[in-house]
Amino acid sequence: MSLLSIKDLSISFDTPRGMLEAVRHADLEVPAGTSVGIVGESGSGKTVMSRAAMGLLQGSNVHRSGTVVFDGHDLTAMTRVGVREYFGTGMAMIFQDPMTALNPVRRIGSQISEGLRVRLGMDKRKAMARSEELLTLVHIPDPGTTLHKFPYQLSGGMRQRVMIAIAIACEPKLLFADEPTTALDVTVQAQILQLLGDLRRDLGMSMVLVTHDLGVVAGNTDIVAVMYAGEIVEQAPTKSLFANMRMPYTEALLKSIPKMDMPSGKRLQVIEGRLPDPTDRPVGCGFAARCMYVQPKCHAEHPPLIHDGDGHLYRCWFPLGKK
Amino acid sequence: MRKFTIPTWCTIGWLGFVIFLAIFGSLLPFRPWEYVYEDSLGVAPFSPGHLLGTDTNGYDLLSSVVNGARLSLFISITAVGIGGFIGAILGITAAYVRGKLDTVMVTLFNVALSVPNLVLALALVSVLATNIDVNNPVPTWRRVVVLTAALTIVLIPILGRIARAATLSWTNREFVVAARSMGMRDRNIIARHIVPNVLPALIAVGFLAIGVVIIAEASLSLLGVGVPDGASWGGMIARGRNDLEYSPHVLYVPLAFLALTVISTNHLGDVLRSSLDRRESKL
Amino acid sequence: MTRVTYLLRRLAQLFIVLLLVTFGVSLLVRLIPVDLAEVLLPVGSQEEQDELRRAIGLDKGVFGYYFQWLGNFVRGDFGSIYYSGGTEAVSARLAAAFPRSFLLMIYTQVVALAIAIPLGVISAYRAGRRTDRLIGNSLFTFSSLPSFAIALTLVIVVGVKLAWLPTLGYAPISDGIWEHLKYMIMPVASLSIGLIAVYTRLLRADMIATLREDYVTMAASKGLSDRRILWRHVFRPSSLTLFTSAALNMGGLIGGAIVIESIFATYGVGFELFAAIQGRQFIALQSLVAIIAIFYVAFNLIVDIGSGFVDPRTRDRRINA
Repeated sequence: MSLLSIKDLSISFDTPRGMLEAVRHADLEVPAGTSVGIVGESGSGKTVMSRAAMGLLQGSNVHRSGTVVFDGHDLTAMTRVGVREYFGTGMAMIFQDPMTALNPVRRIGSQISEGLRVRLGMDKRKAMARSEELLTLVHIPDPGTTLHKFPYQLSGGMRQRVMIAIAIACEPKLLFADEPTTALDVTVQAQILQLLGDLRRDLGMSMVLVTHDLGVVAGNTDIVAVMYAGEIVEQAPTKSLFANMRMPYTEALLKSIPKMDMPSGKRLQVIEGRLPDPTDRPVGCGFAARCMYVQPKCHAEHPPLIHDGDGHLYRCWFPLGKK
Repeated sequence: MRKFTIPTWCTIGWLGFVIFLAIFGSLLPFRPWEYVYEDSLGVAPFSPGHLLGTDTNGYDLLSSVVNGARLSLFISITAVGIGGFIGAILGITAAYVRGKLDTVMVTLFNVALSVPNLVLALALVSVLATNIDVNNPVPTWRRVVVLTAALTIVLIPILGRIARAATLSWTNREFVVAARSMGMRDRNIIARHIVPNVLPALIAVGFLAIGVVIIAEASLSLLGVGVPDGASWGGMIARGRNDLEYSPHVLYVPLAFLALTVISTNHLGDVLRSSLDRRESKL
Repeated sequence: MTRVTYLLRRLAQLFIVLLLVTFGVSLLVRLIPVDLAEVLLPVGSQEEQDELRRAIGLDKGVFGYYFQWLGNFVRGDFGSIYYSGGTEAVSARLAAAFPRSFLLMIYTQVVALAIAIPLGVISAYRAGRRTDRLIGNSLFTFSSLPSFAIALTLVIVVGVKLAWLPTLGYAPISDGIWEHLKYMIMPVASLSIGLIAVYTRLLRADMIATLREDYVTMAASKGLSDRRILWRHVFRPSSLTLFTSAALNMGGLIGGAIVIESIFATYGVGFELFAAIQGRQFIALQSLVAIIAIFYVAFNLIVDIGSGFVDPRTRDRRINA
């Protein structure tokens, strides 16, 4: 029984330039107790999907179809107020840039305790005490003083920890982490990922980790889904994905990560070309224009998602590896 | 032609109408506005022979309003035009040259702006319109000139500050530095690069300013120092105050003309400004 | 540069502006091609006029005249108004006029903000939809009307036709709160409409920009209600421009309400200024202009200090001059 079940989700935006299809017919299952990674470049639709899944996408120009079921409840059939009931206690999200995601004019303590007071009904003193505990949980030194500080007084890594503290305050079952390490330096990245892993274990939390960095999902997820141009193009248990890549796109992504032991002076491997225009999706495979292994069929027909026996899904006419 | 909404077309239409009246009003087949219709004092609008009625002194309101259009528009367009021109020169130069000149200019602007606009205009009019012999009244044309001059002076710091701000946001851009590094002369840089970008902002504000000046002129007339003899819309409103109880149309007619004109200029200025913002922020 | 240094620098700048304004007015007064003593004391004898000249400082050059006036001003002597029957101290008139203008200004700002803030929040919340467009359009139309147009219409409709409120005059608070307010309602209504439009628009624009920020999405993800987010997360950072504008307007309202004051005969500072100009009372004019300028400058300073409180980011930031 999945904790989160996304079926046939499509999201489009009404823009002056036409209908922008951000997510197209996406399916994703997040089993309880797992960590699922969503990987894709900017513009692949991964952020839109995670926000839509949680129910944070608003606006009169948003068109949504498909279902999102969380813990047995169909979120897509509820009103905004209904979905809100699950925020904080059921699902929570941490965002990419902790500088802009924290309210700049409110103190840390008040931002953490707000969720506790509003959602769990705690009184001010208890909430503050619990906030201090949470800060300790996320390894912030000197939590007592930090409670009274403003976000701009903390470093990037500390701010990200604060954001995690806010998110886990009401002990949600599912945590969405939208590019949690992108805005941080490499050393801090590792610490944050470690922290998330520890918290998951200790609190029994599931996680959806959205990132563009294959390296981040490698050690921190159980299942990986790769998104391209609004679609899920490959999905597999993490080890299988890396061992047995099917999508040319995933292979290209892996190859483009610069390695420490590369000879200097060698050109970085990039994926040529650009994402297709989201207001004008191509008929065939979205990656066809940039794929090394492209064939005429790729331009002509849109590949469906094929299920391999061992839990591996891919969307390609000519997948890599064993046929 | 971009898509204009219905309200925008209405305002353009109204302004066109007013401008037409101002320019060609004297060619219309009416008696001059000073003519006194002795047998129709204070009649209501839509009476025979007087489309907009007459006031209690016998002046036909339609002719008066047409004459007022000419005066009000003359004063406001001249004041905004000249004031904007001088203000733009001062503001652009100050922002471009920076340094001491800029500091001095900004201080001067602030000095002028620390007194409320109307007060400044009032003070200037009184000073400039005083005759050597205090007992001689000042001729109308001189009053109009003084009024226009005073309002122009009041506008200079306002428009100058906007021109300066607009210029500041452009001088730091790379293409200016690039132009300078190619040896282009400042004069040309300003003319070819800065002015075309600052001008639209000034024009948008200019429309708003016209509305402000029309209101200012009316306010001054209400206080008694505007154009005498009720020749302008403001003067008519001032005169209409006395007839409030029994002939309110004497007040409403010029008030309506003034209000509609100001709403129109404000709306157009607004439309211009938002289309400018859109241009600027196209990502 | 620390905050204190910055404030001191600002203070010095504003002080210079004050000096220049007051000097400018003196210059203006001396430039009038009229013999001032003659104007102020037309029926006086030659000796009396010479006496007056010396008293005011007209016998000196422009600078001497200015410094004499300045010396008197800072000591509280704002000069006198000269009637044919005698003189009256400007400070006395000011003492009567000032509270009226001040109260008018306070009421106007309070009313304007009380109406504009909810309107602005609602417009931002429902941006682009019918409610927002309705509010925006009606406000725009109303605010394009000059305040005297609204004032005169109110006078006709409320004062004359319906006779609900008195049209002229002023009653101090000591006459009874309701009496006092009766005279203030129409002037305040006339003045506040223009402000309401400006404030609503400012607040709406800032709030729309803030609503796009990530921390608003974060607040939503915590499960907070829309109302809580709007007022406790979005309003505070967005209200800076609004309150700055309100404070700056304060200065303008003291002397700028001349027309309204004359229509409703609530003889405040603006009206005194007007009377001084009309009556050629140039000494009084100088002092009144100085008072108004001081107010404007003072409020500018308050705005600067206040910005530090509303947005703590500016508190510790190093100020780039």
